[in-house]
Amino acid sequence: MAHEDHDVIYDLLAARGVSRRDFLKYCGSIAALLGLSESFVPQIAAAVAAGAKLKPAVWLNGGACTGCTESIAQVDSPDVATIVLDLLSLDYIETLSMAQGEDALAAAEAVFEEPGYILIYEGSVMQGFDGNTLRIGGSTGIEELEHAAQNAAAIVAVGSCAVDGGFVRANPNPADATGVKPYLEKVGITTPVVNLPTCPVNPEWVVAIVVDVLLLGSLESGAILDKLDDWGRPKFIFGQTIHDNCPRRGHFENGHFVNEFGTEEEALGYCLYKVGCKGPQTYTNCPIVRWNRRASWCVESGAPCIGCGSLNWVDVGAPFLNRHRDLPLPSVGNTQPGVVAGVVAGATALGLGLHALGMKASGRMDGGAPYEDMKNYDRKRMKKGGGN
Amino acid sequence: MARSVVDPLTRIEGHLRVEVEVNDGVVTDAWVSGGLYRGMETILLDRRPSDAFFVAQRICGVCPISHGHASTMSTEDALGVTIPNNARLVRNLIEAAQYIHSHILWFYTLAALDYVDPVKALSADIADTYALAQAAGTGVSDFGAVAKRLQAFVDNGQLSIFTNGWFGHPAYAEDMPAELHLIAVAHYLEALEMQAVAAEIIAVMGGKFPHFMTSIPGGTAFVPTEQKLDDILFRFIKLRDWVTSTMIPDTLAIAPFYAGALEYGGGHGNFLAWGVFNDESFEMTSRYLPGGAVMASRGLTVADPDPGNITEYVERSWYDSTTGLNPSVGETNANFDEYSTDAQYSWVKAPRYDGQPMEAGPLSRMLVAYLRGVRPVQEIVDGALAALGAAGKPEVLVSLLGRIAARNLETKVVCDWSIDWFNELAGAIAGGDSKYFEPHDVDAGQGAGMWEAPRGALGHFIDIQGGKIARYQVVTPSTWDTSSRDDEGVRGPMEEALVGTPIIDAERPLEACRVARSFDP
Amino acid sequence: MSHPAHYREAHPLIFVFTHWINLIAIVALAFSGFYIHYPFFGGFMGVARGMHFFFMYVLLINLAVRIVATFFVKSATRLGTREVDTDIKNWLPQKLNRHQFIPWLKYYLFLKKDHPIGAKYGVLQKISYLFTIPLTLAAAYTGFSIYAPFMDASFFAAGTDWVGGPMNMRIIHYYIMWAFILFTAIHAYLANVEGIAPSRLIFAWKEEEGVQFDAEGKIVGGAGHY
Repeated sequence: MAHEDHDVIYDLLAARGVSRRDFLKYCGSIAALLGLSESFVPQIAAAVAAGAKLKPAVWLNGGACTGCTESIAQVDSPDVATIVLDLLSLDYIETLSMAQGEDALAAAEAVFEEPGYILIYEGSVMQGFDGNTLRIGGSTGIEELEHAAQNAAAIVAVGSCAVDGGFVRANPNPADATGVKPYLEKVGITTPVVNLPTCPVNPEWVVAIVVDVLLLGSLESGAILDKLDDWGRPKFIFGQTIHDNCPRRGHFENGHFVNEFGTEEEALGYCLYKVGCKGPQTYTNCPIVRWNRRASWCVESGAPCIGCGSLNWVDVGAPFLNRHRDLPLPSVGNTQPGVVAGVVAGATALGLGLHALGMKASGRMDGGAPYEDMKNYDRKRMKKGGGN
Repeated sequence: MARSVVDPLTRIEGHLRVEVEVNDGVVTDAWVSGGLYRGMETILLDRRPSDAFFVAQRICGVCPISHGHASTMSTEDALGVTIPNNARLVRNLIEAAQYIHSHILWFYTLAALDYVDPVKALSADIADTYALAQAAGTGVSDFGAVAKRLQAFVDNGQLSIFTNGWFGHPAYAEDMPAELHLIAVAHYLEALEMQAVAAEIIAVMGGKFPHFMTSIPGGTAFVPTEQKLDDILFRFIKLRDWVTSTMIPDTLAIAPFYAGALEYGGGHGNFLAWGVFNDESFEMTSRYLPGGAVMASRGLTVADPDPGNITEYVERSWYDSTTGLNPSVGETNANFDEYSTDAQYSWVKAPRYDGQPMEAGPLSRMLVAYLRGVRPVQEIVDGALAALGAAGKPEVLVSLLGRIAARNLETKVVCDWSIDWFNELAGAIAGGDSKYFEPHDVDAGQGAGMWEAPRGALGHFIDIQGGKIARYQVVTPSTWDTSSRDDEGVRGPMEEALVGTPIIDAERPLEACRVARSFDP
Repeated sequence: MSHPAHYREAHPLIFVFTHWINLIAIVALAFSGFYIHYPFFGGFMGVARGMHFFFMYVLLINLAVRIVATFFVKSATRLGTREVDTDIKNWLPQKLNRHQFIPWLKYYLFLKKDHPIGAKYGVLQKISYLFTIPLTLAAAYTGFSIYAPFMDASFFAAGTDWVGGPMNMRIIHYYIMWAFILFTAIHAYLANVEGIAPSRLIFAWKEEEGVQFDAEGKIVGGAGHY
């Protein structure tokens, strides 16, 4: 490759804000990575200059079950290979990275040095035992998060665990779990967070946010922040309830309900409201985007929504097969609101019954007791004006 | 003496640290540390038994179906509920789809990069690749297009998920042709599609994957209609055909280049399976993949499994619960102390069976099934042994390569059964059987759900009092396999399997990663 | 026997109407609310929801009418008299009522034998009737907060966030309905336990003779022992 060609490339890169020195270092490291000799550097340089630079991204797993990573592999528009090969440079993701150990962490570290990358966080932020409830590469998960969040252009918190701790933070929250946004607020890191709840995250949303939104420039312009609600959730995904968009809504209005699982009503696709469906108070567009490449979704397969996209979803949604959540009453334990109401109503009825017996016994049933003598106080006030 | 540390071990479910001591190019000691504690067992207390199914499956995002089933079975066991036959078949089908999904994902997406070097694929000749695929009897893709895409990707220079991979590591089989590397890369991409097809089956029957909705205690909330049945069948057929024509031939084509892996990675030689895929009797020992325990001390013989024989030790992990308890009376009191391989070093407890560390997983299941004379398993294992030049020697399976082969062969067996179960279900529906759920109103009892995740033996233990969960304990396959040392200092199965592994480059212990990853932890 | 006379001046006709409307609306709301909470029979959800929304507006408008009327309509200052004063004074607790509070409590708890002196409403009665206003408004607020066409308005959404989400808001709404039910039960009991004349008056606007008082609360005649 002729020397002039190099200059053209460097000019192009300079226009994109990449210095000659950085660029050569970068190409050299790629060559080393590939086990290629230094003589390949110019070729790599030409190739890189030819292609647009992909936005670097890092996917961190906090207190995760890996379900959100699994979920992102279940998308076809675009598919996961296109995302990680052609759209993003996902330089670190524990579940898919070819690299391992220190070399894998070094790949993430290289990204962290250049501000402007996208950080995707899966799983709860584990605070228990000073963060030692999650240990990665010799340090704790919270150290890793704080470090990674500093220079990120935006953080996408995928799944309910990353949003607010998810099921892990459910009462009594034994590992002191929380979400990315609340944690970063606590430690004073102001990187914007886009919250994508549900358990796991619906991959369509991740694609919509990362590919359609962040890569199309609304990250730089800041427009993404206008699309978020108070909890950091994109309004166009989490603005309506499942109930609003449910294909079984007609049956709900008609009063066609499934009374028991596995029945004829189930086969007819009747409404699951009576068996505890949390669709009316769950804000996601599951009925529209559906799951697993539109194969189905919870209600379509016959199960009531458990509200996994709600904040603190286990405490708020359980018992999942009842209409109401349980109330965690001190010393009684989890109790249904209806039981509490029944006890209070029963006590009231009993009280009134006993009182009626007293009224009967004291002979007040027929017109009440005789009036007391009017006190001076009453008399004085009434004379002054009215005895209302 | 040198310590080699891989932390995090990538391409697994969860957070794992593998620390090995290497002497003269061989691993002489190993410590495996689980890095995450969430306290699921504590979270479930005082909740409804029917909630356990929904929450407990979230222990694992790769095998939630098995956790969900073990949980719901523990509740049914406690309440004395027997699910209807149709529900059994629906559950078998959902479970089968997860097995197929999980094994495809493991082999291609998680493990293949330990054996296949994408950079080597760049020098493949396209015509030769077609010829090789034909000769190996494996699936033909558009190899030219894959090679071009790979080339463009490498030229672009941003390696994304391949960043910092150990390209050109000397442990990659030197004599494996570039064309076979390219075939594997092409199938790596195809596998991404196939695992998603398997997950779609779960979505149709269970609402979504990961984390499904329908296998509630008492049966299933999924009532198959005609339009759903074909959605399920055509996907199972597609998967069976792909596993038969691509995954199995790929395994047999790559295996000979890593025949050395038959020599190490076996471990203690104790195997435990509770069994999976119920038949009409619901007995652990008569499941399609039956339960059983194989102890090294008794050679290749199988005994009936008994959950009563489990004890969990915690002296070397970060708990201060009573050590040596059976999970039906187990405790979970986390208490972190520093990481020290001489003292406590893991969040994983150390379960033992009859006092012995036990390997769990496809190798355990296939060995137990083989020894119990399950026909399809015997046939496929014997065929594979012959192909590997070890006809009539099932003991060679107790190795790194054997563990991988067992998993992939199991995929094929489960694919074939899935069609059988589907036909059985379709026949029952045609015959007018419309029962999917058994109502129940008992509110107390103790139960266990002994089952198998794709990665091994799994037990959920529940104690229900007054309609609420009074105790919940889980023993996961990863708890068996990545178990820390027990109170006697005996290594866990993965730790033991690592010992004896040859290491070419102690800085980059690829071979140790292969052994650890072969458990699909 | 010291039953006071029940005259129409105690409950002018407009309040007979508003009371009827309250009764019907609350029964309809409670019934349809229970049904919406858990549809105990099939085929009625659309109607139940329609009822619930319709009667919610009826109850709110009726409350507004009742509040406006109280400033313009005069009603009897006490039972057993035809002397009237602006209704708001009879509704709101007055200074005079403060020292009547304890005697009334004692009377209900059988700690006091004779009937305390009081206005048209006893002091406890005044407090509990007054309490139904915020209770109605709270029912409306929590109801709107879980009613799709309004739930996203920031006035309601902020409240929903504050109580910890729509599920909690739903439970609060549910408990408010129970509060209405308990109020109604106690109200009906206390109004009628000493005789059903109050019901005859408020529902059918029928008078009944009894002890008569003058405007100053002095007994001036009528039947009964006193």
